[in-house]
Amino acid sequence: MHETNWGLLIVIYLFLGGLSAGLFFAAGLANYLRVDDKPIYARVARMGALLAPWPVAIGSGLLILDLGNWYRFYKLFMHFRWESPMSIGSWLLTIFTLLSFVYLFAWLTEAERTWIFAKVPASWKLVHRLNVDISSWRETLAMIGFPFSIGVGIYTGVLLGAVSARPFWNTNLVAQMFLFSALSSGAAALLFAMLMDRKNPIEKHETKFLVTLDVVFISLELFIILPYLIHGELSTQAVKAALGLILGGPFTFIFWGPFLVLGLLAPLGIEVYELFPAIFKGREFHGSRNLALAAASLVLIGGFLLRYIFVYAGQMSGFHSKMGLLQ
Amino acid sequence: MGTIRMDRRLFLKTAGATAGAVAATQVGCLKYFKKGRSSAADSREIPTTCELCPNKCSAIAVVEGGLIHKLNPNPENPKSRDMLCARGNAAIKQVYDPDRIKQPMIRVGARGEGKWKPVSWDEAFDFAAKKLSETKDKYGPQGTLWSSTEGFQEKFFVNLGQAFGSPNIVRHPTLCLASVNLAYGTTFGTVPSFDLLNSKYVIMAGANRFESIITPDTMDLIGSVMERKAKLVYLDPRFTVTAAKADEWYPIKPGTDMAFILAMINVIIAENRYSKDFVSAYTLGFEQLAEHVKPYTPEWAEKETEIPARDIVRIAREFADAGARALYYSGRRSSWYQNDFQMRRAQAILNAIVGNWDQMGGMVPNSTLPKGEFLFMPWDEPKAPRVDEVKTEFPLAAASDGVYLKLRENVLANKPYPIKAWMVYKQDPMNALPDQSKTLKMIEQMDFIGVIDVQMSDMAWYADVVFPESAYLERTDPVEVMPGIWPAVVYRQQVVKPIHDTKPNLEISQGLAKRLGLSDYFDYTIDQWVEAEFKDLPIPMAAEHMKKHGVWAASGQPKYGATLTPDHRFVTKSGKIEIYSDRLKDAGYDPLPVYTPPVQPPSDRFRLILGRVGYFTHANQSNNVWLHEFMPENDLWINPVPAGRLGIKNGDYVNVASSVGTVKIKARVTEEIRPDCVFMLHGFGKKSKMQSLVYNVGASDAVILETAWDKVSGNAAFHETFVKVSNA
Amino acid sequence: MAMKKKRYALVIDSRKCINCKACVVACKAENEVPVGNFRNRINEERKGEFPKLSINFEPEQCHHCEEPSCVRVCPTGASWQRKDGIVLVNYDECIGCRYCMIACPYDARYFNEEQGVVDKCTLCSHRVDRGDVPACVETCPSKVRIFGDLEDPKSRIHELLSTRRYKVKEPQTGNGPQLYYLL
Repeated sequence: MHETNWGLLIVIYLFLGGLSAGLFFAAGLANYLRVDDKPIYARVARMGALLAPWPVAIGSGLLILDLGNWYRFYKLFMHFRWESPMSIGSWLLTIFTLLSFVYLFAWLTEAERTWIFAKVPASWKLVHRLNVDISSWRETLAMIGFPFSIGVGIYTGVLLGAVSARPFWNTNLVAQMFLFSALSSGAAALLFAMLMDRKNPIEKHETKFLVTLDVVFISLELFIILPYLIHGELSTQAVKAALGLILGGPFTFIFWGPFLVLGLLAPLGIEVYELFPAIFKGREFHGSRNLALAAASLVLIGGFLLRYIFVYAGQMSGFHSKMGLLQ
Repeated sequence: MGTIRMDRRLFLKTAGATAGAVAATQVGCLKYFKKGRSSAADSREIPTTCELCPNKCSAIAVVEGGLIHKLNPNPENPKSRDMLCARGNAAIKQVYDPDRIKQPMIRVGARGEGKWKPVSWDEAFDFAAKKLSETKDKYGPQGTLWSSTEGFQEKFFVNLGQAFGSPNIVRHPTLCLASVNLAYGTTFGTVPSFDLLNSKYVIMAGANRFESIITPDTMDLIGSVMERKAKLVYLDPRFTVTAAKADEWYPIKPGTDMAFILAMINVIIAENRYSKDFVSAYTLGFEQLAEHVKPYTPEWAEKETEIPARDIVRIAREFADAGARALYYSGRRSSWYQNDFQMRRAQAILNAIVGNWDQMGGMVPNSTLPKGEFLFMPWDEPKAPRVDEVKTEFPLAAASDGVYLKLRENVLANKPYPIKAWMVYKQDPMNALPDQSKTLKMIEQMDFIGVIDVQMSDMAWYADVVFPESAYLERTDPVEVMPGIWPAVVYRQQVVKPIHDTKPNLEISQGLAKRLGLSDYFDYTIDQWVEAEFKDLPIPMAAEHMKKHGVWAASGQPKYGATLTPDHRFVTKSGKIEIYSDRLKDAGYDPLPVYTPPVQPPSDRFRLILGRVGYFTHANQSNNVWLHEFMPENDLWINPVPAGRLGIKNGDYVNVASSVGTVKIKARVTEEIRPDCVFMLHGFGKKSKMQSLVYNVGASDAVILETAWDKVSGNAAFHETFVKVSNA
Repeated sequence: MAMKKKRYALVIDSRKCINCKACVVACKAENEVPVGNFRNRINEERKGEFPKLSINFEPEQCHHCEEPSCVRVCPTGASWQRKDGIVLVNYDECIGCRYCMIACPYDARYFNEEQGVVDKCTLCSHRVDRGDVPACVETCPSKVRIFGDLEDPKSRIHELLSTRRYKVKEPQTGNGPQLYYLL
């Protein structure tokens, strides 16, 4: 077995980063979709925009703390190295985080802005000059932000997938797997937040929108996991040995039970069940609050577990040549 | 919509301030990471000689900024063959070991309690001298015991004991190699070296050369086996590293080596494969041998050794056909069984009849080099006889070394007279002697115990006063000649001044001598001593050379065959190589080796066997942090078959019990050992808290080993203990 | 006159390795490696059933690859490679993200807790630059490792690699490792 260098801090960051990407994406999409020219998902968009920057901001903080010398993190921005997924990722991450904060700002009401700037001392004239209404920038910001959010969602997978030394990761499917997981986690988080907002209770069409989004992304995720497993089993010895970690090895239960069944199949099932009458029988979407909450929570757990399994199992995998590692 | 405009000046100011702050942290970081290393100009290279094991390899110490940074091999020493093993490299951590004894200390609590009072050297010397004098007054000088282990400064301690008037000087050989030395000495008149560099066929039994490093044997052997294509046949109840590298390995039944050897001799004589010319020209007793080995057939030997008869025959043939370049290796630590002397005699005889004496690839008598001697005032011979009665009980053993285990028995019984004071130099009898409970009893009997050592060994822990010796890198020692096929003269000079309040052994001996009225015998400095030794070295500008190079060796090829002249007289009674030994017969021992099967352990017990690894030296390096990393705790090797029977899994803690003690140790269930044996390494389970890495960690073999010795040489027999193993 | 291109590498004759750990301690002393970390190691393979057994030892350390993945993935360029092939870490630039440790197929790197940076075998570049060989090469009783310049046709490693069969570890990664194990 090989050493574990990246631990829980990294797992949490990968989850939070993906979460923000998914939130931003859902928010942007929600704002973009019009039905009869009406922005019926505007509330969804606003909630997403308000939530999006925070997970990744916290995650980035954890990332910096995980460094050997945290105060050296600025060095990441003194270089741009095409071949290093971490280099590209740090830039993507930073730009995305900044953008998502600006996007958040674009969705603040006048009252909210006033409340915030009231906290800033009057003498900080430069800061007060930022108290402008940029709500007209929303579409533009979303448009600029989309590729960055996709980038953040994908690069966390590339970070792992690009490492040829870790056969558990070294497949071109990992990037998409993480992306779709991020997008579904984002949609689920948004759904969860809106369901928990007692002051502005969620409306059926909003639930339906987010549930549909979630169903799509979970399905896409499943469509990636399946070939990952099948092709992996038909691949070289190192890959097969790596997959052994989830096919009989120490991560088997957590992969098939909590992750696949609880984290993917169960919420998918619930959501399909909810959508079933609407889609196939032309009847009303169920919109049960409890079921939606359950589904959203399970998706979030699944998203976290995906990263947990990949980060730990991946580091355990390697080229088990006949020599063991012993001092 | 408002646009965000920035005041340029303000921006620059802010940016500048930020950049400044970043730069400040950057510089701070640089300072943080700047290694506290001095420039290259501060670096010095000082050649010296390692002391971490008996091999005395030449090393070049690199000192930077007053600290020893590295030890590099010195290519000029042919014996150490331009290498430095793990211990040689780790000597730095012996000097900078936080557990080292940093100044003299006198015990304040009970013995072994570990309560110490740091004292000045004067106080320590006064105290020890007073106690020794008291002992002398009550029991005579013979009431004091002086025990030591080899080292360049050992002679000063031994001299002190002798000048004090005590006949009871005991050294380490009867815990180590006394039987092999006596056996080969009896046969050839001298103990030869083995030319493994040029050998073509080597049989090694139990001498695990690839883990028990002896220079140059270890290095020459790996080269011979892997490059020069010598064949290595290895016998050992354990699958050691040597077994792994050998061409053939036989898990010989323990204690039956003599059967194997005698059968080989039987085959070689029966098939006329011995060297007739050599035998007739240089040996005595071949006819008796031929008759003697008749019953020792390969078929008989197979039953004893569990080695197939056809393999014994084949090996005997291959061995004999390699003639002068075949070697049955003698081994070094020969403290195995009670018949060890006679077994090594059988080895010597086997070597003799194939005529590998003084030939390239064979056994070669050591060459030596002349060196000067410092003349000092001699003292009178001690009047009393030795307490271990060596001359009567072990007439052929080296009296000056003593027979350690017999000595302990006598001391415990207070016969023929009591020993009441014990001075120890560079030795840890608590771990070096079997049956620690006896050593503890012996300690109890003493009115006084003084220990001179670099580290707080278990023996030092039980002493009344400890005198910290400076580590080898902190001292200059007498010049030594290393005899061998490639003899060399080596020098050890001070690399750094002692970092603690420690002294070289000479100064410790002098400090004691002064207060014992023996100053006249020690009225010189180490520099004077060394100067005298330089004088007669066969080197031009000897002093300068030795200080600059640390070693001198003759160039050119070794001389083979110097003793193979018709008028050469071997240092034996007959002047010939004595296959049949009258000397042994006269002393009441078998003149030719007679086989007796070893006692077998009862079916529910195992034979405990011992051995080494390449990164520890006996019991005294396990506290070196750079070496300890490789084995934080020792374990007990046990074969899976008996382990399964006993319900022992790998990693379980087990109790190992003999008739004298019990220890608790982790089990290593491995295929690499015979089912009837268990094995453990030395140097763990220490009682000294100042060996913090191994204090109470693992187990000490000394606690469970039983007392036994070879009756001819007095060499300890460490493989005769049977133990019971059970889940803890 | 242009400096001739150099490419340093190690040839390893594992059969001679007796697992004495001299190289590990020599490296520790030479490079001030913290206790608990190692820049080189001896891999062990033990197999068989009593009495048919084998043990094989295989020294290993950073392979100073042709296309080191550790250098590629480093976000700050702290992990870099000299023209003569030696891969090094610039301790002032390393932020301690440990990506390189994960990217190395050979687990050659370790994390220096005290300094917060990643470290590994440097082929004793400070010794090499003054004409010596790495400490692990020099100290070995069996002379298992042979150090040299692949571009020098007179070097011993050039001769060995031209006349003997050898293997490298995990060639499938495409890293081009430069530790050659004689067969």
